[in-house]
Amino acid sequence: MLTFKIQRWSAIALLFFLTVHMIFMHYVPPFHITFDVVQARLSTPTWKIIDILFLFSVLVHAMAGSYQVITDFESAFNYRKALAWASIIIVILAFIYGAKTIWAFQL
Amino acid sequence: MSNNDIQRTVTVRIQRFNPDVDKKPHMQDYQVKMWPGMTILDALHEIKTHQDGSVTYRRSCRHGICGSCAMHINGRNTLACKTPIINEVQKNDTVTIGPLPYLPVIKDMVVDRTSFWEQYLRVKPWLLPPNDIPEKEFRMSQEEVDALHDAEACIMCGACYSSCAVIGLNKKYLGPHALLKAFLRVLDPRDTAPAERLEIVSQADGVARCHTIFNCIDACPKGLNPTQAIETLRKLAQKRQKYEEARRERQKHLNEPIPS
Repeated sequence: MLTFKIQRWSAIALLFFLTVHMIFMHYVPPFHITFDVVQARLSTPTWKIIDILFLFSVLVHAMAGSYQVITDFESAFNYRKALAWASIIIVILAFIYGAKTIWAFQL
Repeated sequence: MSNNDIQRTVTVRIQRFNPDVDKKPHMQDYQVKMWPGMTILDALHEIKTHQDGSVTYRRSCRHGICGSCAMHINGRNTLACKTPIINEVQKNDTVTIGPLPYLPVIKDMVVDRTSFWEQYLRVKPWLLPPNDIPEKEFRMSQEEVDALHDAEACIMCGACYSSCAVIGLNKKYLGPHALLKAFLRVLDPRDTAPAERLEIVSQADGVARCHTIFNCIDACPKGLNPTQAIETLRKLAQKRQKYEEARRERQKHLNEPIPS
């Protein structure tokens, strides 16, 4: 039930961050996205925080979904605690790696 | 049914499996002459009585009440006794019948329903009434009765259970039939253990495992909606304490007249 809740809450967060992402990447000038544009945007603390939270929502949502699908199989269901810990570790490692990349952007 | 249909002979293709002889199931064809109002179960009786006595299937009431004759007919789960054969005859004059999917086959159309009943018993599907039972009757409002009506009509045929894709992967999942019964008892104002049942259905193999594929709704020969029941249980499971308090309060007034 906890995984179910996590997936629902992360889906709501994703809906918000995806909307923000789509609007600012595709519907706000400059419409032609280059590396310089992205670099300029990601060098501001606000965008760094938004993108780090976006990254976290994506990772949590993807892992919760994968965990649910994998544990649908009876053979995997018996190892669900080990799988849950493995998922948490993967999320933490991927988050650190991704967050470091976002944080590194400077003008 | 037209006169031509009455004269028609159809091919009933049955999945056969005898564990003493066969290594894997195979299909066998039988020719059956239709009569007006003939059901799939009638066709099976015809085959068993006049053509091949070894064809094995469960049946009892013949009125769509007992749920014994649930089978996989032309790719969907339904009751053989309430399915007219004329509705199932396909272009090549064939009707294909097999056992309920995802369940171990004992012989021909007879499946082992052990997991079905085990999951059913886990939710304690019986009524657990309060200690102070009213002298005459429990007073329930029309709305309370209406909320239970659908779930009460379930005949435990197993059509929903064996059409559920999650059950196909994991027999530890409670299944739509057990969750529908849990829903019935949780919403029953006379019952004293909804919190306990909500705790059971909140576990890893409970309501959260339903992927809302809706196969159970399509399969139910009684037209019930187990997915809706599961969705309601999901919501109630997340506010167990509040629901339990409301239930206790409601049960204090079960022997009082319903205010109009």
